[in-house]
Amino acid sequence: MQDRRTLTDIQVNETLTNTVLKTPLLWYVIVAFMGGIVLLGVLAVGLLVNLGQGLNGYNRPVMWAFFLTNMVFWIGISHAGVMLSAILRLAQAEFRRPATRAAEVLTVFALATAGLMPIVHLGRLWRAYWVFPYDFSRGIWPDIRSQAVWDPHAISTYLIGSSLFIFVALIPDLAVLRDRTTGIVHSIYTLLALGWRGTVRQWRLQAIAGIILSALLLPVFVSVHSIVSWDFSMLIGVPSWHTTIFAPYFVIGAVHSGVAGVITVMILMRWLFGWHDYIRREHIDSLGRLLFVVALAWFFFFMLEFMFGLYHQEGTEMVVRELWLFHAPWNAIFVIFILTAFIIPVPLWLFRSVRRSFPLMFFTTILVNIGMWLERFLLIIPGLMRKQPFTFSWGEYAPSVFEIIIITATFALVATMILLFARAFPLIPLGDAKEARVLRDEIRIGRRTVQAVLREE
Amino acid sequence: MASEEVARDVLQRTFVKGGRYRQAVIVLAAVFLLGVVGFILKLGQDRTQWGYYAATFSYLFTVAQTAPVVSVAMRLAKNHWRRPLARASELFAVVGLFNLLLFIPLLILLPSIEGRNTIWILGVWPSRFYTPHIFDTLMLVGLVVLGLLFLWTAAVPDFAAARDQRGGQGRYAFLAMGWQGTVRQWRVQRALLGLLGGLYFMDVLTTHFLIASDFSMGLVPGWVDSIYPAFHAITGLQAAVAVTIVTMFLLRTVGGYREYLPMESFWGLSKILLALSLMWFYFWWSAFITFWYGRMPVEQNIVQLIMFGPYRPFFVTAFLFCCIFAIGLLIWNPLRKSPAALAAIATMILVGGFFDRMRLYVSSWSLATTTDHTLTTVPAAIWPQVPDLLVIAGGLAGAVLVYLLATRIVPVMSIWEMKELRLYQVPRQLVRRRMLSLGKPD
Amino acid sequence: MTTVRSGWDHKWSMVVDIDRCTGCQACVVACQAENNVPINTEDIFKQSRAIEWIRIERYWEGEFPDVKARYLPAMCQHCGNAPCEPVCPVYATYHNNEGLNVQVYNRCIGTRFCANNCPFEMRFFNWWQPVWPESLRNQLNPDVTVRNRGIMEKCTFCVQRIRRAERKAIQEERDVKDGEFAPACVQACPTGTLVFGNSNDPESRVAQLMKPDHPRRYRLLEHLGTEPNVVYLKKVDPYLEEAQNGSH
Repeated sequence: MQDRRTLTDIQVNETLTNTVLKTPLLWYVIVAFMGGIVLLGVLAVGLLVNLGQGLNGYNRPVMWAFFLTNMVFWIGISHAGVMLSAILRLAQAEFRRPATRAAEVLTVFALATAGLMPIVHLGRLWRAYWVFPYDFSRGIWPDIRSQAVWDPHAISTYLIGSSLFIFVALIPDLAVLRDRTTGIVHSIYTLLALGWRGTVRQWRLQAIAGIILSALLLPVFVSVHSIVSWDFSMLIGVPSWHTTIFAPYFVIGAVHSGVAGVITVMILMRWLFGWHDYIRREHIDSLGRLLFVVALAWFFFFMLEFMFGLYHQEGTEMVVRELWLFHAPWNAIFVIFILTAFIIPVPLWLFRSVRRSFPLMFFTTILVNIGMWLERFLLIIPGLMRKQPFTFSWGEYAPSVFEIIIITATFALVATMILLFARAFPLIPLGDAKEARVLRDEIRIGRRTVQAVLREE
Repeated sequence: MASEEVARDVLQRTFVKGGRYRQAVIVLAAVFLLGVVGFILKLGQDRTQWGYYAATFSYLFTVAQTAPVVSVAMRLAKNHWRRPLARASELFAVVGLFNLLLFIPLLILLPSIEGRNTIWILGVWPSRFYTPHIFDTLMLVGLVVLGLLFLWTAAVPDFAAARDQRGGQGRYAFLAMGWQGTVRQWRVQRALLGLLGGLYFMDVLTTHFLIASDFSMGLVPGWVDSIYPAFHAITGLQAAVAVTIVTMFLLRTVGGYREYLPMESFWGLSKILLALSLMWFYFWWSAFITFWYGRMPVEQNIVQLIMFGPYRPFFVTAFLFCCIFAIGLLIWNPLRKSPAALAAIATMILVGGFFDRMRLYVSSWSLATTTDHTLTTVPAAIWPQVPDLLVIAGGLAGAVLVYLLATRIVPVMSIWEMKELRLYQVPRQLVRRRMLSLGKPD
Repeated sequence: MTTVRSGWDHKWSMVVDIDRCTGCQACVVACQAENNVPINTEDIFKQSRAIEWIRIERYWEGEFPDVKARYLPAMCQHCGNAPCEPVCPVYATYHNNEGLNVQVYNRCIGTRFCANNCPFEMRFFNWWQPVWPESLRNQLNPDVTVRNRGIMEKCTFCVQRIRRAERKAIQEERDVKDGEFAPACVQACPTGTLVFGNSNDPESRVAQLMKPDHPRRYRLLEHLGTEPNVVYLKKVDPYLEEAQNGSH
């Protein structure tokens, strides 16, 4: 059951460029509000730089806390972009069409935000660039054995790759905007559109470029979050982190949280910009099905991680799980996490009526991301609190107001950046929407009419 | 080929088997008997010598009992190119019966969990005779039963076709369970396939977890490797896709099903095989780098035991075949478009998979004491003796034999799915290009 | 100017005899004075941010009225296979050729990775800018850097004293003698719990106590394979032996 109206090309162009050419007033209000929160965050970071990391809640032994949790969370969200764009593009799945650009944009801005987090928590963040291999005068290079060197390089690679991906896919839409604007804005779009005329050759190159970039970005996508997971799993100082499953566990958790994030963003877009014809029930139905499978896979890895934490039946790994299950407030956080990340949303997604309901999908995907943020929190901090058998050095942790402000500001930052992007570029690829109409077909089987898609033989 | 002809053609191939089939059955039966001889020769040997037997069991579990997952997963993805290969992969569930037989000696040989690390954290419960033996058995038996039920449910319409062709009586009437093809029956069948398929998938993953943990990791003191069950499962999925490809190729060339198995099916599976080969590397690397970087003595010893120490030839072969060569060859489109090349690559992966199981199981079974606190010394390699080689050959031959015999009862090409395909595919013209319109069922 | 002569083969090690430790904390005070360790106020202790390059860990054993305190002097173990070294992105910590794990203050950017990977919890971060009141500034040791905020620090086996002794030995054209100098904690300890020296010299006191066949010898967290350069000697517990003998 696919509900669609037949739309002309002109209608498609007008509706999908309305954020650029006919920006609603609400957009300005939201951007101003979010921008304010971002400024508050900038202020907080300024104070950190001026007065020291002591303003935060860390101590010995909990040397990493909210900022690293937030970094892992945002890198997780960023995985949806490649997952949806690259994999679904290579699999030629039709339901990717309205989601690809929103997902890619979410990726780029989530990554940029994630990259800020490890900088903000440094002791001397004005020297953060020392992790890059330049050697102008000192004869000292960074230590390539360190995960803290792999991370910035991996994140930068992913960021550059994703930005290229967005830009290449954006070219035909930039041409549409070029042809509908005047003045300075027109000149900028002309420059960015790189002379797109829509010839057969150009479209063919566009398709090839999309496939090559998708294939190149896939290994990057897997390796970035694996490298981030190795920030934890390769260390021996914290036994509950030293486990082999972290790489695929983090990646699948990232896909889980990322796809949920994309669904949230898409439903918001549909409501905010009035794109009811382009983001339809069939899309969130299919994305919901994908999310269901991913969530099950995530749960499998979570159970493996939990089981093997208990495998030794002795030592600090048991103490950390004990903390999760029996000690307040950790057991409350654990219960909230498992309810929101899995137990409430996933059985709901078994039902078609839930998957096709916009409010319910919005609600469940937000729950998932709350749960996944808490999951990263539970992974990092209790492990540090109970590092080794020397109980004299065990510690506690409570976040400071600075950490809470900066974390909130990152959410506002991502929202602001996506909205700013929407002001300049359409968030649904026009070409994709039009291609969907061309490839659409119907088959009669007996008395039933079945929707179909045209494919090359 | 029209719909009615499909049923007639497939059923004819199912029931009338040629000379080559008979020859194959005889040869396989002979090799299986040699395997029995090898098994008898091994009776009385110490547990540490049974690694190759355990590897054979695990390999058959990995390949054959994971194979139906290919059909389950593709059904979930709702693509059309899975239809020709669905039954071929589902049919591997019958090999599970053979594997259950192989399982029994391993149950007897498995030492008690007392004194060693284990996933059974509640300890010996309810008694030392139950944990983990009875739970593992229940899981494996459950898997075989689920697999057979899944196969039966998928094949019911074809059994009905066979029953109708034979005049409505006989054993196919029983197997068809009164199938008339009403709308309600189709709906029930679809729902059952979804349910059983999902359960089978979850059961396979859980059984991989149990077999890997109890029959391999648990026997090595100090080996705590949370990714190992997942690695075991991923290699299983890779082997499942590979064996499906090989089966498809044999059906196409020797079985006479050429026009049912177009290049699309191979092309679709080849992409998945490439992805799984990349995942082989990814999961192996996650384990290796975590152990290697940490420099903990026990973990360095584990790396020596299962990778670079006495079993290095096995590991290198597995790594090259399943991973490096597989990836290096599968990224080339021309190779992926050729069924013969793909079948060759899949065979290479299957061979590599067996070496992989050997390096994991022979090494873990070779430790005389399982109750140390950590692994302090890595014992020397145990190379296969003649009884071991006979057992391996017999096990593999037995599995293929069971599959072949099953193709006499269950059609290896899914008649109803191929008929459905003809309904869903309509040729169309788009401007100047010939296209296919593929219906998207809900 | 380098003070390490080629041909010298020093491996600076320490032995901690738990049997002798009374928990007096003289070593902690001496270290703080010698190494310009920032002042730890009560607030700082409550925040779990106290910097004590050597600390006395106190563990209570038993039930009242048979409660006993056990003391474990803990300092950087200068591990041969140090887990803190490969994780620093900027090479602010490395292993020098005299067996010391060295911290380079002006290279550290404060990622705190090394602190997470140290299983002994021996690395300290300067959360705030260290402040000494005017009157205490003359107390600062001119041989030791005063650290900025945002930088990691830890026990160095009083490397400034090692260097001074080596320089003197070079001038006098001889090798460093065993017992010629000691880190501040070793110097201050009233009971002789801490023994320091060159374990590569078989004649040194430290090498005698570090022999593998010493009946009371152990190292912290051996199963991690970090190869600590500090050897502990187990406490001789007559009450424990009595209890064990009594129960036979």
